Amino acid sequence: AAPAAAQDTVTWKVQSHWPGSSSSYTDSLGRIKRVLEERTDGRLKLQLYEAGALFKAKETFNAVSRGILEMGTISPSYAQDKVSLAGIASGLPFAFRNVWEAAYFHQNMGFEQMLRDEAAEHGVYWATDKVYPTEMVVKNPIESWEDFTSLKIRSSGALQNFLTEAGAAASYIPGGELYTALDSGIVDGAHWGASQGAYSMGLYEVAKYHVQPALNIAGTDVIIVSQKALDKLPEDMQKIVKDALNEQFWVRTNEYQYKERITLAKAIAEQEVQVNVLPDEVQDKLVATAQKMWDEEGKRSENAQKALDMLKSYLSDLGYL
Amino acid sequence: MSIEVLTLLFFGALLFFLLLGLPLAFVLGGVSVVFLYFTWGFDSFYMVASQIWGTMESFTLVAIPLFVFMAMILERTGVARDLYRMMHLWCGGLRGGLALGTLGICAVFAAMVGISGAAVVAMGTIALPSMLERGYDKSMALGVINTGGGWGILIPPSILMILYALITGVSVGQMFAAGIMPGILLMVLTAIYIIVRCHLQPELAPALPKEERGTWPEKLRALRAVLLPIGVVVMVLGSIIGGITTPTEAAAMGVLGALISAAVYKQFKWSILQEAAIRTFKLTGMIMWILFAAHAFSAAYQSMGAQELIEGLMNMVPGGPWGIIIAMMVIVFLLAMVLDPVGIMLITLPVFMPIVESLGFDPIWFGILFVINMEIGYMTPPFGFNLFYLKGIVPPSITMKDIYKSIIPFVIVEIIGIILIMIFPEIATWLPDLFF
Amino acid sequence: MGVMIAAFMRGVTRLNDVVGRWIALLVFAMFAFLLLEVGFRYLFNSPTVWTNELTQMLFGIYAVMSGGYIMAHRGHVNVDLLHSHLAPRKRAVLDIVTSAVFFIFTLALLWFGIDMARESMSSWETSYSAWNPPIWPVKLAIPVGTALLVLQGLVKLLEDIAVAFNLDYYTPEESDSEGEQL
Ligand code: NA
Ligand code: NA
Repeated sequence: AAPAAAQDTVTWKVQSHWPGSSSSYTDSLGRIKRVLEERTDGRLKLQLYEAGALFKAKETFNAVSRGILEMGTISPSYAQDKVSLAGIASGLPFAFRNVWEAAYFHQNMGFEQMLRDEAAEHGVYWATDKVYPTEMVVKNPIESWEDFTSLKIRSSGALQNFLTEAGAAASYIPGGELYTALDSGIVDGAHWGASQGAYSMGLYEVAKYHVQPALNIAGTDVIIVSQKALDKLPEDMQKIVKDALNEQFWVRTNEYQYKERITLAKAIAEQEVQVNVLPDEVQDKLVATAQKMWDEEGKRSENAQKALDMLKSYLSDLGYL
Repeated sequence: MSIEVLTLLFFGALLFFLLLGLPLAFVLGGVSVVFLYFTWGFDSFYMVASQIWGTMESFTLVAIPLFVFMAMILERTGVARDLYRMMHLWCGGLRGGLALGTLGICAVFAAMVGISGAAVVAMGTIALPSMLERGYDKSMALGVINTGGGWGILIPPSILMILYALITGVSVGQMFAAGIMPGILLMVLTAIYIIVRCHLQPELAPALPKEERGTWPEKLRALRAVLLPIGVVVMVLGSIIGGITTPTEAAAMGVLGALISAAVYKQFKWSILQEAAIRTFKLTGMIMWILFAAHAFSAAYQSMGAQELIEGLMNMVPGGPWGIIIAMMVIVFLLAMVLDPVGIMLITLPVFMPIVESLGFDPIWFGILFVINMEIGYMTPPFGFNLFYLKGIVPPSITMKDIYKSIIPFVIVEIIGIILIMIFPEIATWLPDLFF
Repeated sequence: MGVMIAAFMRGVTRLNDVVGRWIALLVFAMFAFLLLEVGFRYLFNSPTVWTNELTQMLFGIYAVMSGGYIMAHRGHVNVDLLHSHLAPRKRAVLDIVTSAVFFIFTLALLWFGIDMARESMSSWETSYSAWNPPIWPVKLAIPVGTALLVLQGLVKLLEDIAVAFNLDYYTPEESDSEGEQL
């Protein structure tokens, strides 16, 4: 199709994978909507839809790829059958130790570009919204390796395998039943993002220990744009969209860190939550298990192996391997 | 075309084809596809397939076939029949005794399930044949099951309350606690209605003739009939409260209990189990195809801009804070005619919650009103999911008109309940304030 | 011609009946797997990665494959306010008209269900959960289940046409005309 004339107004349907109450819905999607409308003088409008309104989270990549939706947000794991790097993007356990390290890996070492190239094969423009940690909450503090291995943890995806491999009993429970499951003791720990996620799900009401360090740090939220929709915009607007998405990564990664800390402080003050730092013995054993599992991710494709090698050499440079 | 006009056409088309007698599932699906074509284009039909896939992936729905299967086994093996015989012997002199007993079983069932369709169908299976056999008026029998079966989402555990908490950011525990007293209130009000009505019109719920009421030894022997159902309830509720299973998995414990009961009754036979399985398949499939289409319908309506409509409506409402609350209740009630709960919450709550909070109302209290209202929407004519689920299990002699007529007094009772909770918010807020 | 139509109608209905009778038994499997998971987790403290997901997948197939069977047994509920006042012929004419809405829905679903299944099968899609089973068979169940429903809808349409125009390839049976007793 011909590019839209410069004065035309374009409205994009945007399906979120966040519920409307999630801080990221306003902070990430609300922000990008505002920024794009401002910088295009109102020529590009975003119509936002909450998680599940039009498409279920796992279907959003397909819908954007087909051009039915112009834009969406996903977690990389929802695109795993299309993007072979998605497994690494959703986070290898105990790889990065600080958020900035993951940010540097994405933007300065070229991992983000590798993801973008893979997604482009499906007509999707990939832009990581932010990198942030995934942290666990538990009902009783973990003070020894035995405490850890006797845990029943609600988990999902790759982390579920990791926690099982490490010796805990990890099972998947859908979000809707998570609170009840923690409350009644079907599981005694869970991860749902980090402190903001746990707070929004009410998990601190029933699990008072916030475990650190993070299980992983990764680009777990991604904004995806249909290449077809992007191509229909005039050149200047295409540039505005791409620049705004690049800027979004840094703004949001930083802001999210701030909000994590604020939320944890609030949980500590109001709900008597305590931070449970894993004992060295436990950390060492978890790291050892994790490193054994990373190699699995490399086997998905040549590209994944390349990214894994890049990651390992980066971590060696940082002195972690 | 504006969303106001679209809404009228969309819902109008729905009602039109329903009245023409096309099954609900196909009306919802077909109307969605037609409107999607005109508002979004051919490619958007992918959304319909995608919504069906999403519904198939919803784990909490697995509870539906299992609870229905449990009810089928209890009914076919005679466990349910004996339970009603026992109730009749003991409450034989009391007019409407079986209706009251059914209400009690409904409340217990509501505590076992977190979704409403399973409860309506399961209670219909267990209770309806027994009440009709004993000469109960069909309106009375249908009304009790429709209203009681709906309490599954009000009495914890409740998937809807968890969803409300997730969307609005209130505490799940507080929502659960807040649902208990309103649940009891509705139960008491409904019981009062049954007692008064049956006292005035004894023919609705015939008492057992004196000579059939049985001797004390007979009554005591009949009491054994409650042991197995109580065993099943303990297995389900015990495993939820005791932290052994999630509410969905608890449904499997219910089936286990029913199978044990069948064995005790020496009815553990392949022919019975197979028949129960086939009837379960039919009812679950009926519910699921309605849900498939309802989810597609909700998504289609949201894509057309349903939320803007709600925003526009809220800006027009006069009458101060209470006027706004009542307007919200009316909107939820109307939407509940055609949309699934998730759809209703996604469309309305983002608009409602900031207003509710700025007016200084308690979001927990509002959540309870919201859930009850949705429940009333599901059981009122001309359109409501519970009505259709009920229609799916009744014998052919009972028509939709019978079901429609049966529900009216029960809806009035629930509306009285909601008004009481609006006037005395403590009914909802007292327990959560006490616990948290 | 009439013989062939009658044979087609009987064949489709029998096919749906057989499929339905087998799929209905999946409820036993769902029950067994959920119970197994509770047992593993509670008694042995070792939850499995596969039971709940397998149950979920079986449920998806169970639900979507039910459409045709239920249609064959008149189990999709409707509002019978108008229906119950109409003579059989008028009712058949009305049903022929409204079947357009039925076919719009089911054919759209069939089209995109095939599309979805084909896409899934092109990569032999797996779920990428901890267990990571193939999920393309469940997605394939959508077009298969819908096709069974469409075929049964066609049978219903042929019946209605026969009743409306007094054609002799089909005569309604008494037990067939109303929802059967459950
Ligand atoms: Na409940
Ligand atoms: Na209604």
